[in-house]
Amino acid sequence: MKSSNRTETWKPLAPKVGVSRRDFVKRAAASAGGLALAGKVPSAFAQASDVVKIGFVSPRTGPLGGFGESDPYVLGLARKALANGLSSGGRTYKIEIIDRDSQSDPARASQLAKALINDDKIDLMLTTSTPEVVNPVADACDAAGIPCVSTILPWESWYFGRGGKPGEKPFPFKWSFHFSFGVAQFAQAYISEWSKAPFPTNKKVGVMFPNDADGNALREHMIPLFEKAGFTVFDPGGYEDGTTDYSAQIAKYKQAGVQIFTGVPLPPDFAVFWRQAAQLGLARTVKIQSIAKTGLFPSQMEALGSLGYNVASLCYWHPTFPYKSPLTGHSSQELADGYEKSTGRQWNQQLGGTQSLLDVGAELLKTTNPKDKQGLVDKLNTFKVTTAVGVVDFAHGPVPHVSTTPLIGAQWIKAKPGSKYKLDMVIVDNADDPNVPIGAKLKPYR
Amino acid sequence: MILLSQLINGVLLGGYYALLACGLSFMFGVMRIINLAHGDLAILGACLVFFIADQTGLSPFIGLIVMLPVLAVGGWALQRWMLERSLRAGLLVPLLTTFGLAIVIENGLFEYFGADSRSLAPYIGDFAFDSWAITDNIYIGELAVLIFAVAVVLLGGLKLFLNYTSLGRAIRATAEDADTAELVGINARAVYAVAAAIAVATAGLAGVFLAMRETFSPYSGPTQLIFAFEAVVIGGIGSLSGTLVGGIVLGVAQTFGAQINPQGFLIAGHLVFLLVLAGRLVVGAMRARGGMHGLFARRP
Repeated sequence: MKSSNRTETWKPLAPKVGVSRRDFVKRAAASAGGLALAGKVPSAFAQASDVVKIGFVSPRTGPLGGFGESDPYVLGLARKALANGLSSGGRTYKIEIIDRDSQSDPARASQLAKALINDDKIDLMLTTSTPEVVNPVADACDAAGIPCVSTILPWESWYFGRGGKPGEKPFPFKWSFHFSFGVAQFAQAYISEWSKAPFPTNKKVGVMFPNDADGNALREHMIPLFEKAGFTVFDPGGYEDGTTDYSAQIAKYKQAGVQIFTGVPLPPDFAVFWRQAAQLGLARTVKIQSIAKTGLFPSQMEALGSLGYNVASLCYWHPTFPYKSPLTGHSSQELADGYEKSTGRQWNQQLGGTQSLLDVGAELLKTTNPKDKQGLVDKLNTFKVTTAVGVVDFAHGPVPHVSTTPLIGAQWIKAKPGSKYKLDMVIVDNADDPNVPIGAKLKPYR
Repeated sequence: MILLSQLINGVLLGGYYALLACGLSFMFGVMRIINLAHGDLAILGACLVFFIADQTGLSPFIGLIVMLPVLAVGGWALQRWMLERSLRAGLLVPLLTTFGLAIVIENGLFEYFGADSRSLAPYIGDFAFDSWAITDNIYIGELAVLIFAVAVVLLGGLKLFLNYTSLGRAIRATAEDADTAELVGINARAVYAVAAAIAVATAGLAGVFLAMRETFSPYSGPTQLIFAFEAVVIGGIGSLSGTLVGGIVLGVAQTFGAQINPQGFLIAGHLVFLLVLAGRLVVGAMRARGGMHGLFARRP
């Protein structure tokens, strides 16, 4: 239903986006005019103390490069929206966002964070996508006393992966805050998606959890939830990231007779694994392939060729999400359309992920003196804001400094004839956030 | 049943290792050079074919036809301008030269291609995962069989070439004793350059198959060098048919290692390599002391 709406909007896309763009320019001009009327063009008189620097670390290249693919576009939108400065407490600050590529390497992420803190003297750190990027950056910020907000990795990987203990007091990470889905959201989304599947399965689940922060967090916390919900889980054990031969695991999955499959492999590892699974016949017997960490982006699915059709996934953002970005004023559909028009590439969900991070950062700076690091942290403790991915509320998280955001069940289906793209992602389940409209029914993998 | 299926997978994986090790073994057999850049040359070949496929949309198999001569010329030039000079300075210098070359290739590729993991699999479509179903539990991958067949043909072909052609005889003669070979009119310089060209081109060929079956990045070379080295040592240095056996032993060991524990894949391979190495040392010591009796005899 929703997906057909999307394809229809693609045709008259140019005029529609044109209007919203003109609208945007008008709005920007109006606000600039307003500032000019107020008597000052702030940036012209900006002093060093009026410049607020935001560090932004994400993986643009390397095995996690898919996450950072759309960051330049979203950062561009944010810079445009902040071009006339940001007003906070009656003053207007010039905002400088310094973005860095972690190259998917945790050591490099840590090094970049330290350089941003010590050399660039940033006031706020924003970082996103996987523990390999976020954890070292957040650690550096905690060590140096710089407020840090992060997103897009299960909060358990962020909290336990950095050595946090359940119920630890005082809270061990004074300067870092995190909003993201967690194991509970994963489990709820998966269990709902699998239980409501409009075809029968044997409820045997094969899991592919590597021996890394994500894999270990989910192995420990998610498998019990699946078992409680009546699924039988088969786990062949943690493998090392970057393994290139999975025939032994595949043989074991086949022996166990799994019909449902899930895991959090690195994207290139999954491509290798799933091709071998197809080669060895496993892919012919799996009915629901619902993978996380990979399968998020169209480029990853296209690389799988015909194996990518009907892979189910979870999404943290989709163009049909009913939320607007408070920073740019764009709706989710406008964000996706704008990206497709400007880059010629298909939308991906990290557009919303990165947008929401910048939303939180900018809204935070508007409400608190950007130069007061302690003040920012105090404010974050109870901060609540609606972003592109939904409501972020640090006051009511599972542990302090954490807010959970929803995960929505989705599936990659073959795009309709005439589409510019090979695959289309549709929402098949909304247990985590009923505000998100369901687009289609889950189809069996084979 | 699961064991039989794993055995087949292991043997086919071994075909890839044999293909990879072929150039390393050949270069050592003829020139006595251990080429530490071997894995990176394989990745260079993969990157070249990826570049062609990415830019023109041509099938990697066509890209292969373009890449192989380029790498062969590269190998020839490598011998003429680097290895030959470094060989004059003794046996250790070529080792350092190829080590340096490895670093240059890795960082050069990184400069151009970045740290992204890439694969040629999307460019060969369903062939990357098509397979023949023998029974419900035994599937044989078409690509894996192709790689194994190429390895057998290449190693067999090289053996026939060395045994039955005049250039092959010249290469063998030069490998035995370059100075004497020159006395009977063989141009040792040219023979070395041809051997280097063959070795580098086969490395590139292996790299392309690596890129088809899994993923690669500019820094994938050293891991491949280790696999190639292990296959060569297990099979016996400088022996082409031994290389095939060595590759298969390594592949089977890794597959069965992973069967015990997912992390056992690499460990089992290394373990077999060390066992064979230790075995060779013991046998060597036995021979030096005059058989089994000598080994256990009291040291003088």
